[in-house]
Amino acid sequence: MRDDDLSALIGLCAKCGTCRTVCTLYPERKAEIAVARGKVALLEASLSGEDRDAASVQEALTDCLLCGRCERACPNQVLVEEIVMKGRADLAEEVGIPAWKSILFGKVMASPAATGFARRAAAAAERLILPRVPTGSGLHYRFPEGFGGGGRTVPELPANGFLETLGKREAARGEVMLFVGCVFDHVFPQVGRAAYETVKASGKSVAVFRDAACCGLPAMVSGDRRSAMECIEGNLRRLREAAPGTILFPCGSCLLMFRRNALSLVPKGTPLHEDAVWVADRSTDYASFLLASGVVDRLPDPPEGERAGEIGYHDPCHLSGTLGKGPEARQVLHRAAGDAFAEMEGADRCCGYGGTFNVRDYPTSARIGEDKVTIAARGGTKVISTACSGCILQMRDMAARVDPSLRVVHIAELVQHALQRGGGDPPGR
Amino acid sequence: MDPKALSALRELLGDRLRTSLEERICYSYDATGKRFLPDAVAFPVDAEEVRQIVLLANRDRFPVVPRGAGSGFSGGSLPVQGGVVLSTERMDRILAIDGENMYAVVEPGVVTERLKEEVRQRGLFYPPDPASLKFSTIGGNIAECAGGMCAVKYGVTRDYVLGLEAVLGTGELVRTGVTTVKGVVGYDLTRMLVGSEGTLGIVTRATLRLVPLPEAAATMLALFPGNRHSAGAVNAIVAARVTPSAMELMDRTAIDCVLAVIPIPLPDGTGSALLLEVDGPKGSVERDAERLEEVCRACGSLEVRRASDARGREELWKLRRSISPGLRRVAPVKLNEDIVVPRTRLADMFDFLADLAARKRVRIINFGHAGDGNIHVNVMISGTDADETRRAEEAVEEVFRKTVEMGGTISGEHGIGIAKAPFLEMEVGPLGVSVMKRLKGCFDPNGILNPGKIFLSEEAVRR
Repeated sequence: MRDDDLSALIGLCAKCGTCRTVCTLYPERKAEIAVARGKVALLEASLSGEDRDAASVQEALTDCLLCGRCERACPNQVLVEEIVMKGRADLAEEVGIPAWKSILFGKVMASPAATGFARRAAAAAERLILPRVPTGSGLHYRFPEGFGGGGRTVPELPANGFLETLGKREAARGEVMLFVGCVFDHVFPQVGRAAYETVKASGKSVAVFRDAACCGLPAMVSGDRRSAMECIEGNLRRLREAAPGTILFPCGSCLLMFRRNALSLVPKGTPLHEDAVWVADRSTDYASFLLASGVVDRLPDPPEGERAGEIGYHDPCHLSGTLGKGPEARQVLHRAAGDAFAEMEGADRCCGYGGTFNVRDYPTSARIGEDKVTIAARGGTKVISTACSGCILQMRDMAARVDPSLRVVHIAELVQHALQRGGGDPPGR
Repeated sequence: MDPKALSALRELLGDRLRTSLEERICYSYDATGKRFLPDAVAFPVDAEEVRQIVLLANRDRFPVVPRGAGSGFSGGSLPVQGGVVLSTERMDRILAIDGENMYAVVEPGVVTERLKEEVRQRGLFYPPDPASLKFSTIGGNIAECAGGMCAVKYGVTRDYVLGLEAVLGTGELVRTGVTTVKGVVGYDLTRMLVGSEGTLGIVTRATLRLVPLPEAAATMLALFPGNRHSAGAVNAIVAARVTPSAMELMDRTAIDCVLAVIPIPLPDGTGSALLLEVDGPKGSVERDAERLEEVCRACGSLEVRRASDARGREELWKLRRSISPGLRRVAPVKLNEDIVVPRTRLADMFDFLADLAARKRVRIINFGHAGDGNIHVNVMISGTDADETRRAEEAVEEVFRKTVEMGGTISGEHGIGIAKAPFLEMEVGPLGVSVMKRLKGCFDPNGILNPGKIFLSEEAVRR
């Protein structure tokens, strides 16, 4: 294996051991192979030819949530997230991508039509096959034991995705482009709707990005460069053509893909890289937009003392950590929920989802996730709000395991509720 | 390693024995940046398993190298002759905190900061504070006798170890020391084990002395025109009979490192800085802080900044903590030494180092725990220029010679390991080395534990 960029990035690691203190996975594994320092050493051995077993190195690299804590704690500012993704991609060129992943990422998720079809098929299947589990956040279906990990639950998939509920000419053009993301379109369309309605309250013209492919993050973190490029290429071109002033992402992980990861994925010096820079410069998170556009100032005063301290905020690793957008969501919540919002116990603990990590090692993912929601619930939180699709999927599943009355929502749903204050149930019912 | 030995270990430890190349690579390094591949990695969970591993090692003659967090700077945890790396990561329980008798009992894998935090919540204080305290382990701290910033007032790890339970190189489990403040029953085996770098025994349990948590603290940054002034201030402070809990000196080379990471306004002509901290009862902290300011001014300080609240203190400490990350920007490889000279010779040593850097045409960045005369001398090199590397190594040797000549010691807190093995005799003499080797023979007759460390051997060449 040869990769000069990667060699330069890992060369900065001084093997000091700071990463051991913050790694989400280390307490589970209690072995150096889990932490950044070990992964860097393995890539060094792979690059030098000392370890020619690419499949085993890949296996070790895959055992990572990409939560980025090590990168932020590193005294030498080693770019661990980038190193792990690059390493996975380089190794994938030697050992290949599992067939199910390349079909899912390259064929289904890169194509909007195929994604919609897949949702309808999955929706029919879960209703037919799986037992129902009512939860505070809506109906879930439970997988049988020994099938994809003990007792996993999945949310009820809707008959229609959010985009399918929009009129043909509705939200076709606008200065603000809403990139809804697969999960908030197909799995939780109410989040897509809430984001759309609340962004419209800014008074700006809002377009919803149609025919969007997946942001490409799942493919990229799996080392599937080709599928990631297939996803991102069309997205970048069409976003540039539409020429919005702002591109808004309700999901922190999609935002990370466009703000940062696309720039390292797309080869530098190409026209597509220029597009990637152009898109990155205009991309923003939901809460920052709400603050900057004045939507938050226009919200009616929050009720005082109503359900004080029951709403918490979960920091998505990518959004609050890597992109540093934690304070903005809290400012929005202060205004939208008043006293009902309080800092949550363990707010910045990783939910344990890690995208494909959750599929690869569900028991570990679930232990980390159960700890997360248990600590939050013990601290008095009854509604966990956040701004990342992966975190919502994971924490709803964890709530179904730990305390089904615990609700998990996107902050846009709380803002929508605040806008409509005076009637209606809180979201998530 | 003999397959028979590996299968016996597997039988003992199950999946807590790892032999894949990937797992072994992950235990082949420490913070020195050097690498030696072990044959296997063992994760015992208690003293009995440690004992069984060492007994097997005696039967089948393989090295056993104890390892905490692998954050050492002298190569103490590197398996230079292969064998089994014995990781203490799964022996990480705090077994007791006795607030009345003021001690804690811990397993070796406990991370130092975790213990400090647990006892702090009970109004108690475990003072040793090596820079690595967030990740280094008590076991590793004991093996290397780690020091830290507050050593000037509180001493080093050695001063807080009351007693130990350890597996000797023979596989025997020995209990040393006391749980009381006093104790003179025979030879002090506890002190024998502390700082022995895992060559005499593997600590499986430690009884640690605790002290009351200081009520308050104040931090000051004093800026001086040069090292003569700041080193003079260090001695004047001691003469004024104030004992700060930290006296960190940064010379101009280190200040430049900090400025590369965080730009802070400094008065013109700043050539040296002292970071001072005092702790204790509120009233005395105020009084001591004022006294320190006076002394610094009398010694020619350009400016003294002071903070008593947590945030302000953190801001000042950030300067000190930014040196190491800043070093990486100067050059990729550092030869990191931790000499100690008598406090009164600090200024002479700084002059010597500046002259040496010019003579050898290498960058040397100096900072350290000036209160106890401990200077971290970092010779910065590219690592790719053979001539530069040679000049740097010559410089290091000169530093050691000068240190011993001044009546100092070549390692204050990192230990000898492999990095300083060639210079051991320079300081302790041939008889000193001989007595040490004879003691080693008593504790570990078959040379099982951490071979190739402290003493120069063919395998322990400086790489």
